[in-house]
Amino acid sequence: MKTTNWNRFFIICVLASVVAGVAGVQLIRIQNIEGAKQILADSEAYQGINRMIYPERGSIYDSDGRLLAGNEVIYEVGLDLQALEDGQRETVASVASSVLGLDYARILGYTQMTPGNGNPYFIVLDGFVSKDKIAQLESIKEDYANRSTKRGEVRPNLNGLVWTANNKRSYPEGTLASNILGFYSFLDRTDGIGYFGVEEAYDKLMAGEPKQVYSAIDPNLLTSIEEVPPGVTVQLTFNREIQAMTETKLDEAIEWSGAENGTIIVYDPETGEIVAMATTPRLDPNEYWNYSDLFPNPTPYNAAISSTYEPGSVFKVITMAAGLDSGAVKPETIFNDTGSLYVGGATIYNWNMGGWGEVDMTGCMQHSLNVCLAWVGMELGPDRFYTYMKSFGFDRNTGIDLGGESHWPLKLPGDGLWYEVDLATNSFGQGISVTPIQMVTAIGAIANDGKMMAPHVVKAMVIDGKQYNIDPVVVSTPVSADTAHTLTSMLVNSLENEASNALVEGYSLAGKTGTGEIATPLGYTNSTTNTSFVGWGPAEDPKFLVYVWLEKPEISIWGSEVAAPVFADLVKDLVVLMNIPPDNVRLADKLGENSFAISE
Amino acid sequence: MKKNLLQAYKQAPWRTQIQWIGIFLLVLVGVAVVAGVYLMVSGRAAATGRRIQSLEAEISALEMEINDLKTQYAEVSSAKSLSERANALNMTLLDPIEAMYIEVPGYVPPSQPVLAPPPAVEEISTPVLLPEFTASLWDWLRLEVFIEPSLPAESTESVTTEVAPAPTEVAP
Repeated sequence: MKTTNWNRFFIICVLASVVAGVAGVQLIRIQNIEGAKQILADSEAYQGINRMIYPERGSIYDSDGRLLAGNEVIYEVGLDLQALEDGQRETVASVASSVLGLDYARILGYTQMTPGNGNPYFIVLDGFVSKDKIAQLESIKEDYANRSTKRGEVRPNLNGLVWTANNKRSYPEGTLASNILGFYSFLDRTDGIGYFGVEEAYDKLMAGEPKQVYSAIDPNLLTSIEEVPPGVTVQLTFNREIQAMTETKLDEAIEWSGAENGTIIVYDPETGEIVAMATTPRLDPNEYWNYSDLFPNPTPYNAAISSTYEPGSVFKVITMAAGLDSGAVKPETIFNDTGSLYVGGATIYNWNMGGWGEVDMTGCMQHSLNVCLAWVGMELGPDRFYTYMKSFGFDRNTGIDLGGESHWPLKLPGDGLWYEVDLATNSFGQGISVTPIQMVTAIGAIANDGKMMAPHVVKAMVIDGKQYNIDPVVVSTPVSADTAHTLTSMLVNSLENEASNALVEGYSLAGKTGTGEIATPLGYTNSTTNTSFVGWGPAEDPKFLVYVWLEKPEISIWGSEVAAPVFADLVKDLVVLMNIPPDNVRLADKLGENSFAISE
Repeated sequence: MKKNLLQAYKQAPWRTQIQWIGIFLLVLVGVAVVAGVYLMVSGRAAATGRRIQSLEAEISALEMEINDLKTQYAEVSSAKSLSERANALNMTLLDPIEAMYIEVPGYVPPSQPVLAPPPAVEEISTPVLLPEFTASLWDWLRLEVFIEPSLPAESTESVTTEVAPAPTEVAP
């Protein structure tokens, strides 16, 4: 190559290198000036989206695996103002107003807004649109897309009208067991919380942990979206069929008796599981906004766990258990009932204001003698009596896993409000306030060899795809097994001797009626009462304990005439649903208790 | 011989130019091939990423639909609904006195339904592909050159008897 050519080649290379060098320097300079950093920072906003993902709320199932609370798909419909096209705003407003049932002028006003400069880019029209309405919108959208147009005619479209699917809490059984389930305020999509029942007690677990998730738009930064595990699913102890039957029986009982309200609890004394829990009134949790109308203050959401009342004679079961267990009395102990007992400046009378002469302890329970039980309480003495009361849990909540439980403080000797007569009246269930669940838990110990179980409604939880079963827990052993068996036998005999309305043909049942006078500002009144009945069976191996409380019945003031027949009516269906054969069949069984099948 | 070759190049300078052009083109083709491979790999990675995101969105939508269908099923088979259907068919609840109980040797009543496996049961996951097919070159090098040689002899033995864990990170 000639020298001239080399020189030319060299010069071109130098020039090209200088240009490239200048360009390179300029590139570096541009990337490091202040404005460039701002542009770089701004660009990150377009590289991805930070979203808060709320986990699917855990479901609730009954003991047979039937869904009681789940999630259904619901749609949020809104306007993406940037995507709206000129000439189509009226179309969008017209379709949205006709399908969603919203005001046309208001939607048209939204469509004519310019996004940015203080105006939103997206406007939510309706956050809870059903699938049917979305199907209508999709049909219209498809119809527009397929519509043939003439030359110059603009094809209508729904660009800018967008809908996205969301979960909404749903209770497929409606009002069934709503006092146990509680409700979730699903209208508040981001800050909804559970109220009452299981929804409140397990709110945090079922809600799961919301997570801030980054979703890249830049293809070079794409990563898998972080998984957000769903909330904890719970399986309850109660059976849907038994719950439905119990609620039906309660409603029928209220209508028949003219009671203001009522509560029935079906309980498994061996495990502490709630088999059914019916109260009135009941709310449809799908329409929880009716809560304040249905439950005017101070109506409790679930009277079974939060309504306190003076139970009356059903409480004699507890007093007699304490008397027998402490040795203060025996079943054959004779009490000479004169019809009254003077204690602490007050006179105690029987329900019929009469005396029954010499009666043993079974007779005292059979005839529900206040004077006799007050005497048993006096024989126990305040120290022992209230020690037993605390052992049975009347000084605290039972700890049942439902939101909203409460209790009335137990008056104890030494308290300013306790008087000597309280020992006598407390012995037959007056001057002491309890909740139905406290009564069920305490009397459950008599039906379970003296062991008091922790009442609970959750049988199992599903966490991260694994099922964790809840084991029964013994809270305390307030009385011995011997005492429990003795008292059960006494109550079986007293029911049979009395030919009680609570008896069910073919089944040995233990039980006790209760009629509690209601305290008013003017003193106790016996014109309106709280009637109740507690019973359990089969007596030799109890599988259920049923507690009935009817508040202020009109047809009668006596628990034996109001609550006892309701108990019997319920147990007749309960033994079928629980597959418990009559005594003669079950006791003759040589194959074991699970070898039966019901046939018509 | 050497003198003749230099003489030939001096008499035909285009040979030198062709040589330079050839080298330049070789470099250019090399750069183009590397850029092409990079573009293809990153394009495929981006497309796969988009597909994964799309599938994740689809999974999420399907899960919502499954829950919705479960709820719909629960509504049509609710206690109230079934009770109404039973009443329409003139069905009544059995009276316990009318019930006839039959001893059935070996009869096992239905057990409690299980919503999910218990925690004691570990799910055994068998990898469809061996790690050698899924690990990147960098992962393999890291395992073979940096991690495994540094393990004590006993540990190495135990590692070799087990299937190596799948890489948890995507190599750059």
